[in-house]
Amino acid sequence: MKPVQLFCWHFMAYPYLDKDFDQKQYSGWVTVPNSLWDNHKALGLYQEYIDQLAYADELGFDGMVLNEHHQNIYGLMPSPNIIASALTQRTTRGKIVILGNLLPLHMNPMRVAEEYAMLDQMSNGRLVAGFAPGGGPETFNYDVPSANTREKFWEAADLIVRSWTEDGPFAHEGRYFPLRYVNLWPKPLQKPFPPVWIPGSRSPSTMVEVAKRGYCYFLSSRSHGGETHRAQQEFASVLEKHGDRYHPFRFGILMSTYVAETDQQAREECEEGVWYFLKNCLKGHLRREGRQLTYGPGVPYIPAAAWREYLKGYTPGRKLLGDVENWQELDASQSIIVGSPETVYRRIQNLIEKAKVGNLLIQFQLGNMPDHLARKSMKLFAEKVAPPLRHDSLQLFTREFPGANVEHEAAEALH
Amino acid sequence: MSGRTIEISGRKVWILESGNGAPLLYLHGFADVHSVKDSWLPFHEKLAQRAKVIAPAHPGCAQTDENKDIDVIEDVVFHYLEVFDALKLTQFNLVGSCVGGWIAAEIAARHPEKIRKLVLIGATGLFVEGALIGDVFMMAQPEYGSSYASLREMLFSGVNQPNALELFPDGKGDLEDEVRRYQMLRFGSRIGFKPPYFYNRPLRNRLHRISCPSLILWGEKDRMVPRVHGETYARLLPNARPLNIIDQAGHSVHIEQPEATARMVLDFLAE
Repeated sequence: MKPVQLFCWHFMAYPYLDKDFDQKQYSGWVTVPNSLWDNHKALGLYQEYIDQLAYADELGFDGMVLNEHHQNIYGLMPSPNIIASALTQRTTRGKIVILGNLLPLHMNPMRVAEEYAMLDQMSNGRLVAGFAPGGGPETFNYDVPSANTREKFWEAADLIVRSWTEDGPFAHEGRYFPLRYVNLWPKPLQKPFPPVWIPGSRSPSTMVEVAKRGYCYFLSSRSHGGETHRAQQEFASVLEKHGDRYHPFRFGILMSTYVAETDQQAREECEEGVWYFLKNCLKGHLRREGRQLTYGPGVPYIPAAAWREYLKGYTPGRKLLGDVENWQELDASQSIIVGSPETVYRRIQNLIEKAKVGNLLIQFQLGNMPDHLARKSMKLFAEKVAPPLRHDSLQLFTREFPGANVEHEAAEALH
Repeated sequence: MSGRTIEISGRKVWILESGNGAPLLYLHGFADVHSVKDSWLPFHEKLAQRAKVIAPAHPGCAQTDENKDIDVIEDVVFHYLEVFDALKLTQFNLVGSCVGGWIAAEIAARHPEKIRKLVLIGATGLFVEGALIGDVFMMAQPEYGSSYASLREMLFSGVNQPNALELFPDGKGDLEDEVRRYQMLRFGSRIGFKPPYFYNRPLRNRLHRISCPSLILWGEKDRMVPRVHGETYARLLPNARPLNIIDQAGHSVHIEQPEATARMVLDFLAE
């Protein structure tokens, strides 16, 4: 058994928007005018963000997390593999988790297979290979037709893993990506292949496909009420139906945190970055204001029967995370956990106990949060919050999951 | 009005029918029978007074089985050729609205001998430079807490007029109607989400094959398919009447002006 794995997730927001962005601009996604980009201000921005991730590695986090988004101010990583490439040369210990490459956006999945294999080699077997189908915004800015996205996604994911594990050349006679000569150079370092993580938002079919293949399921929700616990239970029961057993490292969640010396100080220091993140970065994604691109009938990628089920629990016009109006509401969403080391430890430990989750993917830098504050929070977390979380979670997992072979899906590097 | 299911290549196709007379095959659009209601709209009832109206639901819409092999408009054309075979329809009047009009034009360009007369209402299908067809998918995403205001704006002349609000209501509407609208968007996504956006570039140069008389109807305030598309159809179809603009209507002329629209269609077919 191992303790909870703590990862540092960086989204790489564009932090130089004017204070009146929310009043003046319709969206932070897809159509947000790129005339707002300021080369003068943005000089050195990627360096600052990469340095923060390298700092996470120094502080002893279990890994760094990157992901792919396009045409938005929320995340400046249209190609996370480029950042990952830099990290292979700047870090030595932690996993490099890419969650993930958006497979339906790539005309040829072999490009992902190749780049991931390169990254696995360049990092000495530290890659965690995430595959994601892309959400509403990416559907629009890359013109991905929705109806067959899922089928395309799984064909691409399976082809990539096959290209990593089966000797080539072979022909892939697929519906969406027929390829005559599949013959990967280089191969990934980890055997049988790098760990695969798949994000989902509680869709039963995604859980089933993940379970069938023995991958790790990552809940992409940003809020953590009862749904996180329910997602864990649903995934556990899907695993059992497939003759498998749940353990905490089959599951991961995304959360944000800010740690400072006291509760009061934490709130004061992070508040500007938090509101920038909620009101600007989430506009177009998780807000009612402007156009909400992430979910809706305009991106009809789940079958009609699944949409019917979704609608039963859906209230049109309901508040989303970015619509919270005050600190109290934000606090109740359990999305961004802010406070002293004691407070943050207590609340995260509580989440781990309820959701039995072993992979915590934690965002530290929020919105326009300055570098020195993001680093201070990461350091306090690493020194004061991580040790008790590791200690308590190890006890909890050992007690509740006796005999679980947590390493069986974690590939071993050949060296 | 009666509904029935036929089977083609193992897939179910749901069809509504009523009326007597020469067969009139109707292909639906986004705001239409099958995509917003499970029954006729007043427009179709008026058509059925003087024709035998046959309206199949597109693949994945209403009770028609989804067809995962549909990637491009060509696949939809072949689906309908099979439907016509199953219905033993050899020559008939073909009427299509919105994407239904596109499908109708594609069928007619391939099999002009099957079509007695062709009617296109606010039809997509053509590439006209500088006049993109509206993005119904973006407009179907919620905006400022409203589910469908943007789609109503695009599909009707007035965003809050009663017929638009009835067919695209905000708030928690009837679950089955909600699923119906979703199914139509899902079908549309297969053929029109990515470029080409609800058009097929080669269609323009194939229209000369359609020698039957054709009628092109367009809403005065169509905000989904710019009027120049109607003008282009009217210019390139060899036997087309001059473009007919219907006043006080947006894209959904058959909903906003059902009497006038049905009368124009029926008079044209009777000529």
